[in-house]
Amino acid sequence: MDFAFTEEQTSLREATRDLLARHHAAPVPGDAEHDPKLWQALAELGALGLPFAEDVGGMGAGPVEAVAVALELGKAGVRAPYAESLTATQLLCSDEGFDDLATAAIEGTRLVVPALYEPSRAWSPTPVGVTATAGSLAGIRAAIPYAAASPAVVTTACVGDAVEIYALDAPTFAGATVDLAGQEARAIPGGAAHVQRALNLGTLVLAAEALGAMEAALGLTVDYLKTRKQFGVPLMRFQTLTQRAADMYTSLELARSAVYFLAMTLAENPDDDTAVSRVKVIVGKAGRHVGQEAVQLHGGIGMTAEYAVGHHLARITAIEHTYGDTRFHLAKQARHVKDNDSRDLLS
Amino acid sequence: MKRGLSEHDRAFREQAREFFTTAIPQEIRDKAGTGAELTKDDIATSHRLQHEAGFAVPGWPLEWGGKDWTDLQRYIWLDEMQLAGVPAPLAFNTNMIGPVIAAFGSDELKARFLPPTAALDIWWGQGFSEPEAGSDLASLRTTAVRDGDEYVVNGQKTWTTLGQYADWIFMLVRTDPNAAKPQQGISMLLIDMTSPGVELRPIQLIDGSYEVNEVFFDNVRVPADQLVGEENHGWDYAKFLLGNERVGVAPVGWIKRRLVDAKAHAATIASGDGTLLDDPLIAARIAELECDLAALELTVLRVAANSHGGKPDPASSILKLRGSQIQQDVLELVADIAGPSSLVWDPADDTPDWARRSVPVYLNFRKASIYGGSNEVQRGVIATGILGLKG
Repeated sequence: MDFAFTEEQTSLREATRDLLARHHAAPVPGDAEHDPKLWQALAELGALGLPFAEDVGGMGAGPVEAVAVALELGKAGVRAPYAESLTATQLLCSDEGFDDLATAAIEGTRLVVPALYEPSRAWSPTPVGVTATAGSLAGIRAAIPYAAASPAVVTTACVGDAVEIYALDAPTFAGATVDLAGQEARAIPGGAAHVQRALNLGTLVLAAEALGAMEAALGLTVDYLKTRKQFGVPLMRFQTLTQRAADMYTSLELARSAVYFLAMTLAENPDDDTAVSRVKVIVGKAGRHVGQEAVQLHGGIGMTAEYAVGHHLARITAIEHTYGDTRFHLAKQARHVKDNDSRDLLS
Repeated sequence: MKRGLSEHDRAFREQAREFFTTAIPQEIRDKAGTGAELTKDDIATSHRLQHEAGFAVPGWPLEWGGKDWTDLQRYIWLDEMQLAGVPAPLAFNTNMIGPVIAAFGSDELKARFLPPTAALDIWWGQGFSEPEAGSDLASLRTTAVRDGDEYVVNGQKTWTTLGQYADWIFMLVRTDPNAAKPQQGISMLLIDMTSPGVELRPIQLIDGSYEVNEVFFDNVRVPADQLVGEENHGWDYAKFLLGNERVGVAPVGWIKRRLVDAKAHAATIASGDGTLLDDPLIAARIAELECDLAALELTVLRVAANSHGGKPDPASSILKLRGSQIQQDVLELVADIAGPSSLVWDPADDTPDWARRSVPVYLNFRKASIYGGSNEVQRGVIATGILGLKG
């Protein structure tokens, strides 16, 4: 049992941090814009292929390394389709082989994102209104990330009770929505279990990014409490504020333990979706707590677009709503509560 | 990063499980499930069985019976102990005064007190808190005045847990009322509870139990060789005592055990056409507690695995705070599952023991966020010591 990053993983974190400092743009409210230069730099670092095998073009590293990169993204407040790209790449790589689009995604020559939401439908990892009949798709995929950059997409469709995976190299978007009818799509090997494996990886990466955002939000808050003066004294003289900062630290560190452990867990078993659900809940609760309190303890300045802390809350909130929120993952666990052995939640 | 236990630690866990589930009588261990109060004999029997097997004081120096286990092994040991419902060796002896005497006592003091402390031939009580000195412990006013070869002690202690069974009490007393800081005039004394002038009065708690006491000292004469370490250094020893335990402060195994029991209990309470375990809100509360508990256990493991060279991972400071909260949450859940079955406390009634005891136990454990440094004190430690927020 060891929760520490190795020297190599620490170097990767530092390299990512330096890279992000060079490409940092002031955060703006609203939908993230794709930054091709940043993306190329991440590709050159190898970040986009960390958890994938070398024959696909990946680095043959693992989920822990992906977490190292995602932590820094979250901490720096840099929005990039990192989790999306890794999720899509995983969808394109099955035990039976890989699609060339995966290699393009890893090299950064083609942005590839998953298209897994349906309009006005709560999160479901299995498609409901998207169907495939003899390889032609019907249905609508909505809220596709980074649609403005015209990415390739990987989507899922149901065929009876089965789930199939499809790649669309150059779909036609209407805003962030794609009407799949009549669009050219290629079938990708794999079914529901493979989709879940990709979601497991993507959720871990998002959780690590949320962890980084929480860490940054707490850091900003602590600095602010030390420097901002009211009533002639620094805010840290008021216990009503410092006690709450202590609770934020508690939530952050509990989430950190959970995220690191999930990375180790998925390195051994990429299909452990129970562990993923548990961490999505832990990070969901912690993120809401830390993010909201960070804005509150800043007061008015925390509300402004020019200050970073509110953007961290926005990012944490987006992560909460990606691949199933706290409610979804709690309900999933609640359905299996009889089968869980509370003595041994970690194995 | 490395997940999972080494083969060696897995074998260690097996050994611990085997020991606790076979060496300690079932009837004592079952009380963890029913919430029945542990008697003096239960605690003493469990302590002595562990002592006879050589496991009562694993955290002590080797020469006094310690085990030289890693923090991770200490945690595994405690986890299995709590999962099996085994009462821990008496903490006042094994985690508090024993390690202090071993670290700061004279050779004579060690030889005199450590063996009977390990064996529970002396049952220790704790004399720290006073009516006017709770979270602000350094403001304590019980005095000890040197008179020849003795100290004369006057004052009052309170919240002395299980003091009714105590043979001896370890005390913080004021020996220098003129010290520059209140912390600098405090010493640690060991006092025989049968000394003339010592009087113990029980305090009844909200669950009806008598587990804490007030202790009064009226010109109690204490031989000076019962001073621990040096005069006016008691505060250092008290800080050592309170910071001595880092993996044991969050009762993870204890909570696991109650969560397992909570599910079993929920399955016995009819609700609609099924049981409370089928109720989606109860199931969600259990699932959420499992998430909370997993995060806590992982943090304990992280602290245990990453505390090298005696310097604990800073995250250790959240363990008492979060451990007590989840401990209280699981007892609240059990009480809510019992529902109307919790309304009659009378043992003569047919209500199952766990349900009848659920609210008293819930009420009793409101103490967990108050004792050993209240949660507000814990937050203060985090804010100041880790975040650098100096009030």
